[in-house]
Amino acid sequence: MKRAFLGEFEEVVMLTVAILDEEAYGVTVTQEIEQKTGRSVGFSTVHTTLQRLEEKGFLASRMGGATAERGGRRKRFFTVTAAGRKALRDVKQVREELWRSLPPQTLQLITG
Amino acid sequence: MPNATRPPRWATRLLSWWSHPDTREDVQGDLLELYHYWVRTVGKRRADWRYCLNALRLLRPLAKQKQSTEYAQPFFLSPDMIRNYIKIALRNLWRKKAFATINIVGLAVGLATCLLIMLFVTHELSYDRYYANADRMFRMTMNGQIGGKELRTAPVGVPAGPALVHDYPGVEAAVRLYQEGTFIVKRGSARFKEEHVVFPDSNFFQFFSIPLLQGDKRTVLREPNTIVITETIARKYFGAQNPIGQTLTLGSRALFRVTGVCQDIPSNTHFHYNIFGSLSSIDLRNTWLSSGALTYLTLRPGYSIETLKAQMPDLVQRYIGPELQQLLGISLAEFSRKGDRFGFQFQPVTDIHLHSDLEGEIEPNGDIKYVYIFSAIAAFILLIACINFMNLSTAGSAGRAKEVGIRKALGSQQQQLIGQFLSESVLITFMALLIGLGIVLAVLPGFNQLAGKQFDLSTLTSGWMLPGIGFGCLLVGLLAGSYPAFFLSAFRPITVLKGNGSALALQSGARSGQLRNTLVTVQFVVSIGMIISTLTVYQQLDFIQSKKVGYDKDQVLIIHDTYALDNKVNALKAELTRLSQVRAVTLAGYLPAGASNTGTDGFQSTNSKGESVTYRNQAYYIDESYLPTLGIRLALGRNFSKAFPSDSSAVLINEAAARQFGWTASRGKNPIGQRLTAVGNGSPESKRTYTVVGVVKDFHFASMHQPIAPLVMIYGADSYQMALRIHTRDMAALLGQIERIWKTQTDNPFAYSFLNDRFNTMYQSEQRIGQLFTIFAGLTIFIACLGLFGLATFTAQRRTKEIGVRKVLGASVASIVGLLSKDFLKPVVLALLIATPIAWYGMSRWLQDFAYKIDLSWWMFALAGIAAIGIALLTVSFQSIKAALMNPVKSLRSE
Repeated sequence: MKRAFLGEFEEVVMLTVAILDEEAYGVTVTQEIEQKTGRSVGFSTVHTTLQRLEEKGFLASRMGGATAERGGRRKRFFTVTAAGRKALRDVKQVREELWRSLPPQTLQLITG
Repeated sequence: MPNATRPPRWATRLLSWWSHPDTREDVQGDLLELYHYWVRTVGKRRADWRYCLNALRLLRPLAKQKQSTEYAQPFFLSPDMIRNYIKIALRNLWRKKAFATINIVGLAVGLATCLLIMLFVTHELSYDRYYANADRMFRMTMNGQIGGKELRTAPVGVPAGPALVHDYPGVEAAVRLYQEGTFIVKRGSARFKEEHVVFPDSNFFQFFSIPLLQGDKRTVLREPNTIVITETIARKYFGAQNPIGQTLTLGSRALFRVTGVCQDIPSNTHFHYNIFGSLSSIDLRNTWLSSGALTYLTLRPGYSIETLKAQMPDLVQRYIGPELQQLLGISLAEFSRKGDRFGFQFQPVTDIHLHSDLEGEIEPNGDIKYVYIFSAIAAFILLIACINFMNLSTAGSAGRAKEVGIRKALGSQQQQLIGQFLSESVLITFMALLIGLGIVLAVLPGFNQLAGKQFDLSTLTSGWMLPGIGFGCLLVGLLAGSYPAFFLSAFRPITVLKGNGSALALQSGARSGQLRNTLVTVQFVVSIGMIISTLTVYQQLDFIQSKKVGYDKDQVLIIHDTYALDNKVNALKAELTRLSQVRAVTLAGYLPAGASNTGTDGFQSTNSKGESVTYRNQAYYIDESYLPTLGIRLALGRNFSKAFPSDSSAVLINEAAARQFGWTASRGKNPIGQRLTAVGNGSPESKRTYTVVGVVKDFHFASMHQPIAPLVMIYGADSYQMALRIHTRDMAALLGQIERIWKTQTDNPFAYSFLNDRFNTMYQSEQRIGQLFTIFAGLTIFIACLGLFGLATFTAQRRTKEIGVRKVLGASVASIVGLLSKDFLKPVVLALLIATPIAWYGMSRWLQDFAYKIDLSWWMFALAGIAAIGIALLTVSFQSIKAALMNPVKSLRSE
């Protein structure tokens, strides 16, 4: 079966969206990635990735939750779709298979 | 919020202009939120920096808004969509057969009329444009004033053409056309009367680009007594033989040898000669002042006609001056001091057909006025048909509001709906065009007869015409469909579907009802205008035909071409006089109606002291039986008589002439016994003095377009044709008898006509206009009523429930019919008010062409109004009565 291709950063973004559950939108995703991974990511990069993932059908979005801080503008909340979940599982499965097929001594070398 | 925590304004602005429209809102919000976060965590400077950087990275200046992320939207002009539009359009038409029929029939009739008028107009405009140098070709005409009489003639003096070529280097070539009336053409035993004979200069075929099929166009007409004939004439006389070198006898002139055969003259030429004799065979009067030959010039490229015009006074001085001295005995200066003048003008050849109406035209020309009138009529008829279309579509719009609502709810965009409505109207137009073309095909023979032209459909299918018509129809379709398309497609689905569709329909109905009423008014303004015009034209025709013309035009038989009998004409006259049914016979070369000689001469009153004025008057040559034959009455004096040998120098004048010479009772002068001198052609021997022996009552010897002019009748006879006053019930037998007598005298063809027929054909163009107006008025009112009928049907349908309720509550049929009809009468009455002054103005302009005309009276307008209202009422009442008679149970039962 053909597997969905998911880039590394895409995977990170999707996982973050999944972690944030109902509270995932541009700002929170950016901040969460910064905090969790410690790397400094630009908002524009995150935004573009979110858009791309939505186009691929891995994420769904809805508008809502305007605040005064945002100048009364609504947020775009993202949730992971069924296809997204499957893609994440696929990526994880590929990783695990790869890990499992690692010879024990090499595994020791890496984890050790 | 404090000012310090605002991100750089330019970045915000850039973002609001050029960020992706789909995510603009949340991106702006997110960045703003992050900005505050950054200000708190990393400080304002770095926050500004990050904000700008991110903003710049998020600019998507070329991005377009995506329609909807849910469903893919096909482009509204994609082939699939167009196929769908057409399918839906066909279904809709089929479902509303009545409306579709009204629409298509109305438009088809309108388009057919338009196409026919277009045929006429393009043909009229194409006259004389096919010559190679058409833009540089001019006709020289003469205008002047002699004896106070305005003179504008197409032929100019014979020397004029060569003189221009000789004197002015800008004139490239000139050609003269000399006409000598009709000829009996003989070849062996075959003899025909030929009416289109001309004697042109030898460069005629080079000058006008008329191709020769046989013969060399440079040499064909060089020698005397040679002719060129058209294909048709060649076939007529020589059949399949080669005509070159053969001979034809032209009347009393010599034998002519055929040197060339040319193509038939195209119908869009201002002359239609078919026999061209060489000018060198004619002995011309080489004087400037006698009316001579039609003279055409080609100018060299770059030489302006204005330059030539400026030279004309000089030319007149040089050539006319001396001749005037010789002819009238006065110098040019003296001549002009009396207010008389003499000059030449030039008209572009392409203007002759539509703009020229001079004395001595080759054939009656068209009139630009009628080109305008008919173009306007075509536009009006099309407009009326389009209005029908718009009205019926907007009227039906309420019914389709729901459809629009559902379509929109299911994701249609306005563009697609517009596309659908427009394709419906374009489809209808093209169906109408097909039917219209069919109608044109069917009525073309009749139209040709009516217009006196030979059109064929190839004009419509050749060149740019067909694409033009197609494009025009597309335009009509788009225009006619535009209102419903844009109006309906703008409905908000929520209002349409919320259930109070009827309220919306009423509201929109009221809005579009306003427009509909205006459009109906326009239709009826045009219709009523047409009715008034038709009435006026017919009234005027009737007036002309019943007006006392001053002679008795009934029971007068004209025998044509008696000049061909030469000296046997008197024998014929004597024999005809013996017939019991014949009351009187006269040689009538000059007749007040139809083919006739015309002559003008300068006359001076010799009795008056001091300087005598020369009047240029019409002159008739008649014999003593002319007045009794035509029933012209004498006011004073006596008729010519053989009993007075001195009558050879006697004249009769008409009352207008008596007034002109000042011999009226009020001035105490008796015209009888006064003496007149005819100037003649200037030579002393042509100068003659006459004594007036009688005054005839004024009679219309020209058409009613002109007032009765002075006329001098000289004793002498002209044997061009013969007039017989007859008295019989059995015309056929008499004609048989006369023909037998004719055959004993000559083997020329026997031809005759009746004076009253000839009189009527003088007004043929007016009659034609009358007929055309009737037809067009009928069509306009038909199309307008078709629309009204559709609207009435629609209203009756929409108000079915209302009528049901009214009936249940006791309304009478009459009151309901009144209720339904009232709405439709308002625009018609308003139209009457608007149309009356417009039609009054237009028709009084038309009537100005007549010296004798009717007054426009109020009853014509009233009649037109009553007719329009009556027809409209009749149209509407059919539907209203039907609606009013319907059983209310039926309309109220279903909810």
